[in-house]
Amino acid sequence: MSRATVLLLTLGLLSFDSRPAVAQFVTFTVTASPGAMIINAVPAAGSQPSSDTDASTSYRYTSLFAPRKKITAQLNAPMPTGMTLTATFAAAGGGTSTGPIALDATARNMVISMGAAFGSTSTITYVLSATVAAGVVASQTRTVTLTLLNYP
Amino acid sequence: MTIKNVSRSAVVLALVAFGAVSAQAQTANQTVTFQVNAINQIAFAGSPSLTITTAVAGSAPTSATDASASWAVTTNQTGAKITASIPLAMASGLTLSSNLTAPTGGTSAGYQALTTTAVDLVTGITKLAQGALGVSYKLDATAAAGVIASGSRVVTYTITGGT
Repeated sequence: MSRATVLLLTLGLLSFDSRPAVAQFVTFTVTASPGAMIINAVPAAGSQPSSDTDASTSYRYTSLFAPRKKITAQLNAPMPTGMTLTATFAAAGGGTSTGPIALDATARNMVISMGAAFGSTSTITYVLSATVAAGVVASQTRTVTLTLLNYP
Repeated sequence: MTIKNVSRSAVVLALVAFGAVSAQAQTANQTVTFQVNAINQIAFAGSPSLTITTAVAGSAPTSATDASASWAVTTNQTGAKITASIPLAMASGLTLSSNLTAPTGGTSAGYQALTTTAVDLVTGITKLAQGALGVSYKLDATAAAGVIASGSRVVTYTITGGT
């Protein structure tokens, strides 16, 4: 085996062995789910019901030596008629939060153009709102799937 | 193959490996639990005043009316209604009535005499939020009522939720 062949095989093994090592530089996790959100009051008679806000959860993001990233969010099913669940993800990694976004069954950009960060923790704020047309809604759940992808 | 070419190949391989990893999407899930409770709220504004001062000869005294008050309602239920009552009966020969303008889709019963028993004023209120609705009061007196000094009644309006 020539010297060149040996070197090629060695570098090839190194590069493929490095895959799990590189993967450790891009991590994305969320804390526990938000508490139950309940709409049960109006600010004044004649007005629509008051919204309910939960800002108790966050996401943790690390990215080193990786392309810019974005976070999308989507629900497993649409909200009931007359109800809206909006989410605001505080930016991380020098990215840009897209601000309050109404969530539905389509993936929506929440934070875009995220660069390098190490263990950055950012708040997720959910706001539940309903019009009177929604009526009385028994307790339900929606799964919010957050996905970290390359940007754009 | 020269050493230079081998190095280029290694770099390419490394970039391929790196790109494959960084392009992988990472996902996380949260569960959002939510509900909407029954909401029925009304509000009234204004302090109406009614005085009977005139009459047409040969007829009962002329009624006094006041339409200066207003009301608002929010309900997320179907078929809610508004009732009204007063805590103390009116003096003999004197009748105080109330008439609420119905919100969209509701039905007003028109002027209804107020007593200590709740009476329906508006029915069929369904899933709406509406304000600036009119409230009219009317005071009737017979001649037999005589002269009555100034008095007051607190009118209690109640919204009863539907389904």
